Amino acid sequence: MTRLAEGGGKPTPQLGQARSLSMSRDGWRKKASENDGWGGQGGYMAAKVSKLEEQFQKDAPREQKKDGKSSCIFSGVAIYVNGYTDPSAAELRRLMMLHGGQFHLYYSRSKTTHIIATNLPNFKIQELKGEKVVRPEWIIDSIKAGRQLSYIQYQLYAKQKGLNFTRVSGIEGQDPSSNHGPDIKPQPSHTLSKDVLKSTQANHMANYTEKTDHQLDIRLRNGLHSIISEVDAEKSRVNGIHDDDDDDDIACSILPRGSQDTLLTNGHVHPVNGALKPQDFADHHPHVVDKASNQSHLPQDKYREGEEPCCSYTESKANSHLRSLISAASPAKQPGPHNMQTDLHQKPTSNSGTLGAPQKASLHDQTTVRLNGSYHVTSNSSTLANSSNQSGKSSAEAGIISEFFSHSRLHHISTWRNEFSEYVNSLQSRRRAAGGAVFSGREKLKKLKANCNSGSLMAAPQVRQSCVLHVDMDCFFVSVGIRHRPDLIGKPVAVTSNRGPGRVAQRPGANPQLEFQYYQNKQKHYRKEKTDGDLEMTPSPQDGEVPSNGVHEDLAALSMAEIASCSYEARQAGVRNGMFFGRAKQLCPDLQSVPYDFHAYKEVALAMYEILASYTHNIEALSCDEALVDATALLVELGVSPDELARSIREDIKEKTGCCASVGMSSNILLARMATRKAKPKGQYLLRSEEVDDFIRDQPVSSLPGVGRSMSSKLTSLGVSTCGDLQQLSLSQLQREFGPRTGQTLFRFCRGLDDRPVRSEKERKSVSAEMNYNIRFTQVEEAESFLNNLSMEVQKRLEGAGLRGRRVTLKVMMRKPGAPVEPAKYGGHGICDNFARSVLLAQPTDSGRVIASEAIKLFHAMKLNVKDMRGVGLQVQQLDGSHADPSGQGPSRGRSIRDLLLAKQSAHSPSKESPSQDGLISASSSRAFSSNQKRVTPALSPPPSTSSSSSPPPSFTIIDPMPGTSKGDYHHPHTPNHVRACLNISIEVPSPSQVDPSVLKALPIDIRRQVEETWRYREEQPSTSSHYSTPPRPPSTPPPGPSLVLQLPNQPGQPCTTGIILELPDFSQVDPDVFAALPRELQEELCSAYRNKGNAQAQASTVVEQKNSFPQLKQPAVGKLKRRYKKRNTSPAKNGSSPLKKMFPGNSPAKTSPSKTLPLPLREQDLKCPSSLSTDVPETLPKPIPRPAPTLAGAHEFSEIRTLLREWVTTISEPMEEDILQVVKYCTELVEDKDLEKLYLVIKYMKRLMQQSSESVWSMAFDFVLDNVQVVVQQTYGSTLKIT
Amino acid sequence: MATLTRQDLNFGQVVADILCEFLEVAIHLILYVRDIYPSGIFQKRQKYNVPVQMSCHPQLNQYIQDTLHCVKPLIEKNEAEKVVVVIMNKEHHPVERFVFEISQPPLLAISSETLLSHVEQLLRAMILKISVCDAVLDSNPPGCTFTVLVHTREAATRNMEKVQVIKDFPWIVADEQEVHMEEAKLIPLKTMTSDILKMQLYVEEKTQKSS
Repeated sequence: MTRLAEGGGKPTPQLGQARSLSMSRDGWRKKASENDGWGGQGGYMAAKVSKLEEQFQKDAPREQKKDGKSSCIFSGVAIYVNGYTDPSAAELRRLMMLHGGQFHLYYSRSKTTHIIATNLPNFKIQELKGEKVVRPEWIIDSIKAGRQLSYIQYQLYAKQKGLNFTRVSGIEGQDPSSNHGPDIKPQPSHTLSKDVLKSTQANHMANYTEKTDHQLDIRLRNGLHSIISEVDAEKSRVNGIHDDDDDDDIACSILPRGSQDTLLTNGHVHPVNGALKPQDFADHHPHVVDKASNQSHLPQDKYREGEEPCCSYTESKANSHLRSLISAASPAKQPGPHNMQTDLHQKPTSNSGTLGAPQKASLHDQTTVRLNGSYHVTSNSSTLANSSNQSGKSSAEAGIISEFFSHSRLHHISTWRNEFSEYVNSLQSRRRAAGGAVFSGREKLKKLKANCNSGSLMAAPQVRQSCVLHVDMDCFFVSVGIRHRPDLIGKPVAVTSNRGPGRVAQRPGANPQLEFQYYQNKQKHYRKEKTDGDLEMTPSPQDGEVPSNGVHEDLAALSMAEIASCSYEARQAGVRNGMFFGRAKQLCPDLQSVPYDFHAYKEVALAMYEILASYTHNIEALSCDEALVDATALLVELGVSPDELARSIREDIKEKTGCCASVGMSSNILLARMATRKAKPKGQYLLRSEEVDDFIRDQPVSSLPGVGRSMSSKLTSLGVSTCGDLQQLSLSQLQREFGPRTGQTLFRFCRGLDDRPVRSEKERKSVSAEMNYNIRFTQVEEAESFLNNLSMEVQKRLEGAGLRGRRVTLKVMMRKPGAPVEPAKYGGHGICDNFARSVLLAQPTDSGRVIASEAIKLFHAMKLNVKDMRGVGLQVQQLDGSHADPSGQGPSRGRSIRDLLLAKQSAHSPSKESPSQDGLISASSSRAFSSNQKRVTPALSPPPSTSSSSSPPPSFTIIDPMPGTSKGDYHHPHTPNHVRACLNISIEVPSPSQVDPSVLKALPIDIRRQVEETWRYREEQPSTSSHYSTPPRPPSTPPPGPSLVLQLPNQPGQPCTTGIILELPDFSQVDPDVFAALPRELQEELCSAYRNKGNAQAQASTVVEQKNSFPQLKQPAVGKLKRRYKKRNTSPAKNGSSPLKKMFPGNSPAKTSPSKTLPLPLREQDLKCPSSLSTDVPETLPKPIPRPAPTLAGAHEFSEIRTLLREWVTTISEPMEEDILQVVKYCTELVEDKDLEKLYLVIKYMKRLMQQSSESVWSMAFDFVLDNVQVVVQQTYGSTLKIT
Repeated sequence: MATLTRQDLNFGQVVADILCEFLEVAIHLILYVRDIYPSGIFQKRQKYNVPVQMSCHPQLNQYIQDTLHCVKPLIEKNEAEKVVVVIMNKEHHPVERFVFEISQPPLLAISSETLLSHVEQLLRAMILKISVCDAVLDSNPPGCTFTVLVHTREAATRNMEKVQVIKDFPWIVADEQEVHMEEAKLIPLKTMTSDILKMQLYVEEKTQKSS
């Protein structure tokens, strides 16, 4: 309590404290009970206000006399101090007295002319729309200047509307009774309770911003969740300053006063930062763990009820937390005012100099600042343990999460990219719809060009060469932030949430040093190889510090608000984006901070995109301030040079947005981006293809996309620092070092080769929601409810995108053992270990409920200590348009059984089943899995893994309910065959005798139940099977004859110990109708499974199997290939099947496994001769089949291939990526098929074709194919093809 | 050597015979084409209906025959993966490797009379390809020698040590130096696919032969 009372930061008499506390408590109670009555007693407030005014008037001369100097510079000005300021409200009040101003303890819209504040929560900003919110320096500086300065410079928020400002001296006169006379009266009481909320809120916020009372901070710390702080750089303390009331007034007025103060100070602010508007409220839901909250418990409930009706903020539903907090915190707050009050008594006698000391003291009391992230949230329910209503809590949390996301600023920015992408998409489609668009910019340029060219026709040097423009705004956030602040131009400016001197108090539990060391070690590790590291590091600390955001031991108290963006001037001083503000301030004491202004960002960004769209629609949105433009066609059409185009774009941008943009131009995306780097700031740079080599040689490797810290350190260890060095490395070396794909990419990038097209339309791969700020759970239930809420958020996003997903991944960040409990950054996650688990759902879903239940299952399976959780994310992948298939039937596009299996594989990692596992493979593989094949319940979707990751996957879980269900509906119920056919893929559950009972017992209950059910089901199968949609399989049906144990390759990077066991019936048993009815993906998958089966047997004797030498390349190709060739190929059946028939004359087509690339011929054959297939007689071992020759789109003979390729290259101007991949795949298969000769011929033919083509893309395509083929050949044969 | 008309043997032996015969022709031809020995020791013969060159140096011929004799059991059991004719420079660093990559279908089915003539056609094509391969290869430095390597599958080597086909002519494990060639370029020459045999021939050539 004592500490509490020190809120003012000044020593205060003990007595006063005690009184204030007790008073306040009474007051609260009183208030709570009388809450309704306040309005009715409106006269009280009015009376009080006028009384206070009187007092002020009375005091003023006294004060002036005392001080000696006085003026009237503030005549007509009535200030109202909101929240914590520096100088304090008391001081401000004194100053106003001295200089003829008015000081209002209660805000009045009609009377108060200026609001003084250093920081305000967003909703207040909103509420104070149209008011003038000014920083206290305005007063100080005005006094210094001896006249009333324009407040514009001192506005708290740059965007404030200042226009309606009229310097009214008569405002005072308008006074109390003028407009609102009577009806204003109920209002104060409303605002009172309401604003108490706000004020506490503001105070919390202030905590998070740097300058709040330490005491308060302590109380709030545990639970409080961050806030975006629009903190002004000033500190003035204002918490409780007011006049003396009458003595008898004190008893009852203390309470109101406490709240009044805050009310006064906080109640109303300006709209200001638009983007923050509705959002930030969510950010401010603090959950307080507060011992002091005991006090509040009594009044709390009533208070809440009473408050409800007058609660004006929209998010009220979400705020019961907040409320409990508030009611808890408010009493705590009250002593503050009282102190101040006592201070005030002393004050008149003391000089303003007294302020110095407490201020200094308070410097150390400051708390950490919320960084630029706006997030906050989450529940800390120790608070809630006290708080009476649980239901309120959960609902509150639900609100919190969705609001967190709907309001989180960074989240917003990051979604902008999608938004702009969509914007571009919509442009595209609109253009298509309109059949042409008006490009104003283009027209303009055309005209310009026409004018220029009227004299000289010689221009247009443009060769027909691709040209990509990379448009990037120069330090976007800063330039937007200062575009209406010309005074800041040319000064070091940083955009950050912190506006103070960059110091904050350290919170107990936090250990910045340790974190610092951790990061430093990490860094050291990275730069181990760097020889000149020492030399570099010492003189220029920022060098080392930039990434680590260096927190020195002595700097621990520095503000950790991150700098989102800083101007070039600041960069010169060593400030970097992402640096903590406190650190930056040290490096550059002049650093000015500018608050976020999200509306403006969006406005400017949109303007930029509109400008670009006025030229062309071939735009790829990279982020809110960056875009790629494919100007190839445009330049040709206009006949202008890229430079002219760039200049025109930049001028437009400058004109329309007032911000500068840089443009880099080159022949591909990579080079364009690099050129931009050179162009910056405020420039443009055209990297000509002839200059590329020289240019790129000197570029540091880190400038290549995808080369991050770890990779560049790896490269450094190879002695590579520039692209030129990198060029010295051979492809194989790179691939050895970084893997085939990355190596390949590096190999190409360092030569300036990049064939990524500018994509105006993009497809989403995953939808996720993640929070790693302020996650502090104490109980499992909280985590669960959090997951629920997060799932709802994901649902919202899925719905927003019109997608459903099948794979749910739960990502969790856990405090690293040994890391400090409280990270240096408030609410941050500190040093963490990351864990992820995913599960594949039976059907694509966008239901938050389903996702949540899966996520919770996963969560439990991970067996984590909730207290150490620091971040939670949910991701949904394998997306599928939701409209397409609402019932969830049919696997989504691009999905396949293999995916499914792999997913399962990864999903169940653990279990202790290994001993029986081995036996199982051989033992059970022959046992027909007839009975449980039909078990198709979503409930059987893979069980969550059981914690430890070392043990092998359980072999008994049932896989793949999905294909079964989906196919079930295709079936004609009367043909048992169908059932078999459709269920031919399944995973074994071992029989009960094979399972170690103790293992079973150790399993999570749900898994165990599943297993048991399966057994039961097996026994009762005939009777139970009717429950399932698929018709029962006659018990007499013989089990599918030979079955196969198929080891699927592990997915790279996923530590799986065992493969998945697949059982396929003999192919002859597959009903062709059913097969034909299957979705294509499944058909293909089955075909390849059969093919593999054939191969496996074929190779059984040879044993040595060529390992899949090129998974990286093949993987991406497999999923999405669209068999475009087929369409072109007029008679695929003929092409495809005839060679096959010729090759295997003796074999029935049924056993002919399909070609790798094209299952089509097979299917057609199936359809042609179903009779041979539907024979139910299980055949004996299928005869080994020679591996079918690889085909390209059905073409097998070289002459066919040649025709195909020629057609491809000659008819299409730009190859599709998937086609190229198809060719690569074919070539890869040729290598695997040991048909190098054909490969050689194909490659040489392609080389001839493609390099002759006029389009450079074709030769690039060839390069790509060749590079990939060489990799495969290299891996298979140890050397590369000689291509002459 | 073996004739193509022997019907009483199992397919494995048939294939091995065919293959070894072919390899013998091929090795001679390679030695001729690549100028390993003076062209004077070669005579023109006819094989597979095309002219080929064959050495008439008895010791060389003996060596080749012995070698292939030892290869044959491996081929019969389908244990040989590759037969490689390595051409090495004076320092015994390989400069060229003619790789015959062999794979046999696990079960052989010789179904028709036309099969063998079909195989013959394919082998002929391969021989022809060898005879013109100098067009795509750089010339070898003077003083080259050759050796024959066999890449076996699995544990075939161990068995081979136990059973020596020819006394005093054992297989030895090849030096890494002989096997490995730096900066090799691969030039596929010919691939053949028949019901009894699948084989491809390619050359790995050192990029800088003279060094």
